Amino acid sequence: MENFMELLLQPLRDFGITILQFVPNLLAMLIIFIAGFLFSRLIKLLFLRIFRIINLDIWCDKAGLTAIIRKGDVWSKPSDVFGGIIYWFLIILFLVIGLSALRLPTIDNLIAQFFLYIPRAFSALVILIAGYVFAGFISRAVLITAVNSGYHYAKILAEAVRLLLIVLILAMSLEQLQIAPGIVIAAFSIVFGGIILALAIAFGIGGIDAAKRIINAGEPEQPEQPKQNNEKKNDKEREAEYL
Amino acid sequence: MDNADILVGIASYNNAKTIGHVVKAVDAGLAKYFPEKRALIVNSDGGSKDGTPDIVRSATHDHAAIFLSHPVYPIHRISMPYNGIPGKGSAFRALFRTAVELNAEACCVVDADLRSITPEWIELLLSPVIRKGFDFVAPLYSRHKYDGTITNSIVYPVTRTLYGRRVRQPIGGEFGFSGKMAEFYVSQDVWESHVARFGVDIWMTTEAIANDFKVCQTFLGAKIHDPKDPGSDLADMLLQVVATLFNLTEKHYEKWKDERGSSDVPTFGFRYHVGLESVKVNAEKMLGIFRAGLKDLRGIWLDIIGPGDLGEIESLGSLTEGEFRFPAGLWARIVYDYVLAYHKKVMSPEHLIRSLVPLYLGKTASFVMEAEDMEQEGAEAEIEKLCLEFENKKDYLVTNWK
Repeated sequence: MENFMELLLQPLRDFGITILQFVPNLLAMLIIFIAGFLFSRLIKLLFLRIFRIINLDIWCDKAGLTAIIRKGDVWSKPSDVFGGIIYWFLIILFLVIGLSALRLPTIDNLIAQFFLYIPRAFSALVILIAGYVFAGFISRAVLITAVNSGYHYAKILAEAVRLLLIVLILAMSLEQLQIAPGIVIAAFSIVFGGIILALAIAFGIGGIDAAKRIINAGEPEQPEQPKQNNEKKNDKEREAEYL
Repeated sequence: MDNADILVGIASYNNAKTIGHVVKAVDAGLAKYFPEKRALIVNSDGGSKDGTPDIVRSATHDHAAIFLSHPVYPIHRISMPYNGIPGKGSAFRALFRTAVELNAEACCVVDADLRSITPEWIELLLSPVIRKGFDFVAPLYSRHKYDGTITNSIVYPVTRTLYGRRVRQPIGGEFGFSGKMAEFYVSQDVWESHVARFGVDIWMTTEAIANDFKVCQTFLGAKIHDPKDPGSDLADMLLQVVATLFNLTEKHYEKWKDERGSSDVPTFGFRYHVGLESVKVNAEKMLGIFRAGLKDLRGIWLDIIGPGDLGEIESLGSLTEGEFRFPAGLWARIVYDYVLAYHKKVMSPEHLIRSLVPLYLGKTASFVMEAEDMEQEGAEAEIEKLCLEFENKKDYLVTNWK
């Protein structure tokens, strides 16, 4: 009978011990959550003040970042957006740290994976931001050069270059995040290869004369011809010297 | 040769067709006008593949057949490659260094593609330095009314307005300067910038004016040189010249902020009318690029010149070719807005200046159409009006500079 009672009570005692062992962990988790929440708010306020001092909103307007944010249907000021990103990053960080205080093997595994993933996520974010700025820079350079060269479809060309670069950047980011890397590389190769093939065919068909001019320009000068050309120009009219 | 009284520099790159004539003219000028001076002709070559240095060394003529007197000293000549960024400025740097090493009293530089150079040019460029004590001699040419439009619409008005000195051809290409001036040029740390290329001309002129060296100009007659292809060179030349001009505006703010109005600089040489080669310009093509800019660069222009002036430009876009006139006041404000945008780093300097090209072509097309029936004097009067607009609007630049 005593053995039977022991069999009944032992699980309850073990459960009690487990609860007693777990309660401090739970308490620690709650304390980390609350402290993390307060710390995150404090850091957010601190960063908002720094952003105001360095005129981040004006800088973002000039760099075109505000326009990018607006395209994402976000209408807050850039400084508020960056403040929010920092705040939520810290909240998630403290949430993960708090959960680790529970010392549950499953959660510990998830946390380990989370921390291993952070560098990848960070580098993907850096690639995205730097790539977006780079794509804008190159696209603007193409636009200005094409307009100055008298191309009729300068804007379309510039947008095509921007799109191409953004596809490349997205593929690099997804590859960094290890999201279906095989599919991403295959899809990118198909899209990029297709664009290059289309450009090559378009140039081949539409730019025969231009290609001929470029090839001829690279050839060494014939000794007889320039003399005749110069004589011609001197005899008739010469082109404007813009300087 | 350890010392030289005079150094004449010729920067070249594949100028085999013309450099022989230039060297002969320089040689004759030195023999005729400075026979008692020890002179050196230096060709600073950028790696020509057409035998330019050989022509420099071999180009010769018999002094006795041309002059009654002979030079006391032989006129030496050397051809040397230069180091650094390939370009006119780097070639000039090598010439300045040589001038300083040889302790030259007076120097001048001439373009290697000149067809109209005569021995008198050497006298006109060097005498103000040797006989009158000037440090910098700028050229003054007779040019066709459609020639030198970057000079006429941007470089001359801006330089004249900022520094208050009327140097008509600040980027002429031929200059005379003293040994002291060469020493100053060598000591400057600018040789990794656009000064190493086509920016060197405006840099030399501006530094001479802004640093209170004694500046004058000399009338050389007509400038005729090998034609360049404006389609291929224009944007790069404009970038190099205008970027250097804007950089100097940053550097010399304290010098120009209180300067108002402008005055003539001493001018030497006998002014005469010369027959000029006609210059063919394609105003329709220029207007096409201006209109393309209006369609595609609207966003960029809005950031630089603001909505008011952009509105005025948009109204120009709707005019027909016959009605199209770019107002001088609007052009002056636009150039100042570009100077301010460069100062405030609104965007990458290269994008900023390249985005000026369609506006510049619009202004040039307007000038070509306005001056179609004008004589040279009438066209010059239009440029004078433009300069006065720049001078009258200088307060706009100064008050918005902060």
